[in-house]
Amino acid sequence: MDLIFLQLLTGLAGASTLFLVAAGLTVIFGVTRVVNFSHGSLYMLGAFIAWSILSRLPREPEYFVLGVLGAALATAVIGALLEVLLLRRIYRAPELLQLLATFGMVLVVQDVALWIWGPVDLSLSRPRWLRGAVEVFGLRFPFYDLVLIVVGPVVLGLLLLLFHRTRWGLLVRAATQDRDMVAALGVDQRVLFTSVFALGAGLAGLGGALALPQGSANLHMDLSVIAEAFVVVVVGGMGSLTGAFLAALLIGVLQAFGIALVPKITLVLVFLVMAAVLVVRPHGLLGKPQAMARGEVEALAPIRPAGPALHVLGLVALVLAILAPFFAGPYLLSVLTEAAVAVLFAASLHVMMGPGGMASFGHAAWFGVGAYAAAFAAKGLGAGMAAGLLLAPFAAGALALLVGAFVVRMSGVYLAMLTLAFAQIAWAVAFQWVEVTGGDNGVLGVWPDAWAADKPTLYWLALLLCVGGALVLRRALFAPFGFALRATRDSALRAEAVGLDAYRLRWVAFGLAGAGAGLSGAVFAYAKGSVFPTYMAIPHSVDALVMVLLGGVQTMAGPIVGAVSFTVLHSWLLMGEFWRIKLGLLIMALVLAFPAGIAGAASAAWERWRGRAP
Amino acid sequence: MMLPPPALQVENLHAGYGGAKILRGVSFELAAGEVLVLLGRNGAGKSTTIKALMGLLRPTAGRVRLAGQDIAGAEPHRIARAGLGWVPEERRVFPDLTVAENLEVGRRPARAGLAPWTPERLFALFPNLAGLRARPGARISGGEQQMVAIARTLMGNPRVLLLDEPGEGLAPVIVDLMVEAILALKREGATVLLAEQSLAFAARVADRAAILETGRIVWEGAIDALLADTGARARHLQV
Repeated sequence: MDLIFLQLLTGLAGASTLFLVAAGLTVIFGVTRVVNFSHGSLYMLGAFIAWSILSRLPREPEYFVLGVLGAALATAVIGALLEVLLLRRIYRAPELLQLLATFGMVLVVQDVALWIWGPVDLSLSRPRWLRGAVEVFGLRFPFYDLVLIVVGPVVLGLLLLLFHRTRWGLLVRAATQDRDMVAALGVDQRVLFTSVFALGAGLAGLGGALALPQGSANLHMDLSVIAEAFVVVVVGGMGSLTGAFLAALLIGVLQAFGIALVPKITLVLVFLVMAAVLVVRPHGLLGKPQAMARGEVEALAPIRPAGPALHVLGLVALVLAILAPFFAGPYLLSVLTEAAVAVLFAASLHVMMGPGGMASFGHAAWFGVGAYAAAFAAKGLGAGMAAGLLLAPFAAGALALLVGAFVVRMSGVYLAMLTLAFAQIAWAVAFQWVEVTGGDNGVLGVWPDAWAADKPTLYWLALLLCVGGALVLRRALFAPFGFALRATRDSALRAEAVGLDAYRLRWVAFGLAGAGAGLSGAVFAYAKGSVFPTYMAIPHSVDALVMVLLGGVQTMAGPIVGAVSFTVLHSWLLMGEFWRIKLGLLIMALVLAFPAGIAGAASAAWERWRGRAP
Repeated sequence: MMLPPPALQVENLHAGYGGAKILRGVSFELAAGEVLVLLGRNGAGKSTTIKALMGLLRPTAGRVRLAGQDIAGAEPHRIARAGLGWVPEERRVFPDLTVAENLEVGRRPARAGLAPWTPERLFALFPNLAGLRARPGARISGGEQQMVAIARTLMGNPRVLLLDEPGEGLAPVIVDLMVEAILALKREGATVLLAEQSLAFAARVADRAAILETGRIVWEGAIDALLADTGARARHLQV
């Protein structure tokens, strides 16, 4: 009984910081309709800045309060700068590009933080008053946890007052409902958006600063908190502050009990609760169906099969790829093997994203499941490569169908956030389930059979499986299934009116994409000889998105062009210490300058050139 | 004797969507205290003219002077602050805000020479709304939403009111109320540009009419003259 009570209080304390982060995220989304991936980075910056301030100040409580508020204020200023420099330019862009651009910001902030504060976790030496304990019903309970428990509801109250009792709050609520109308009534949207973003950033910074005394400021806190914050915001209902508060309490308490009782499956538990809530209430606890922001959806150009010129080009590229082992050195050959894997990885994501209209932020999960399936076949079953290559797509596909069964009910940012949350959980399972996955050490010695062990044979095998797999996926998209899928993407309602089962189509596409990614993961595992949890990590999911985006979402050649160019870029440009900042800037440049990707831009240029020719 | 400058002066306005040119040189003037109705068939460019004036659609050429100040191509919030008040055809009442809050969003400082609008004056103009102050915008009728939309825009103390089809889709009784309200505004000295499909509605409130056809003004004159000119009506308005 006592233990339960203590765990409950610990959970409530954790819920408070989680709420602060989620509140900022949900407020920013409400007005700008941007899901800010870099919100976790602001939380991280809040913690680092708080460390820098607090480690220089006297250790009395009043200086602590001052330092925490200073950190929150500094983060708010950084947030305002980010809004002016980056976000303002992408408000009218499709959701996927917004998510990607803000992820580019995550990478940049990581390297900037690394550069300023270094790679070591920074913790605060806590003064006595911070370490003290209080007696609660005869139990000793950390004083600081009580402080946190109070902060959450107080901030919620202040925010509700701000939004319901001030003119600024009124304008923000009005802009959440129809921002163009607010502008036509004489309100400068830019000032409103920048101030909302600064408020959200300040809340994230406050959360980070308040979390510092119990943990440390480190370079991993951004992505771990953003996945949790996404879950909280989705469960609470996008845009609802009170919903975020309730969801943060639910998730916080759940985690506290999970860690005390069944530490291994805590994250799975969180995912199951989220699933349960969304099945009953698809828009979250207190959420409403999101009205689309007005007049922003651009019609997509139809996808056409490639013309003869492109076929010839593709054939030439394929012949060159087949002949590569005769002229390429071992290093180039291994880069090309990776490129082949990347082609299938990107093509499988493209099935969902382009024709399916479902942008996944967790596609690496299926890649990882495939890789671990191959590792399991090799190590657990002692089976040959063929078994592993067969098992991988089935395992990944089956799991994708299981998860997809409820994920594909969602659309847009909800779907993106849920896939991300699931991938994060898959990563955590791989990371924590040391007995089976080896944890961080991974599974080593996943080697191909003897006949395929030399580099050229392995390369040809990878080429055959991955390019073959990509071609099968392409075939599916020009089959009636593909047309039906695109009809569903363009208008689910109209597609259903002509008798298409939208849910089933999306579900099958999700499973197909999972199976494709699983196969690519297995090939990668045999090519590298090892499998690590990082295969499933968020950055790897983003790699896939960048490939598809780099090539162009609305072209069939896009994922192939994108995968090859990304792999080449990755092995030459994006090496070395500060690769994150380079990749981050590349992503942002892409989103701002070439939203249609390389293949998209090339195809538009081709059309223009042909249009002018007589 | 020098005439006072017109409240709104539109010269050679061009605008369109992407490649489609909708307005091909629209010109007209609106005197202070006057109600001018823009008439025309579907697709003639009435709503497009309103949107281009409001800055929601960037004009490709032309000038728009509001009380002497050039506002063509400015951002919507600047145009609103300069004194153009827009009431959209779809009303666009904020669904989750109460009627009183909807009005509050529209509030702007008083303008020299104009009696400032207050919620009390507006509830006197639209008595139906007085009892609905605390009701969310989503939970009032279409006619009441139209009244809220007009009242909300008036809270900004506009020099010129742009009304886009205020009678559309409303029951005849409510249309009568709308006519009453516009006539009341006129007595207060308001300047109104009305975009309208219905000649019957226009005839009850407007002083002058301008007819749009394929993006140009093809007829302009007093509303009584239009009512008398069966030929012009047949040429430009009948379907």
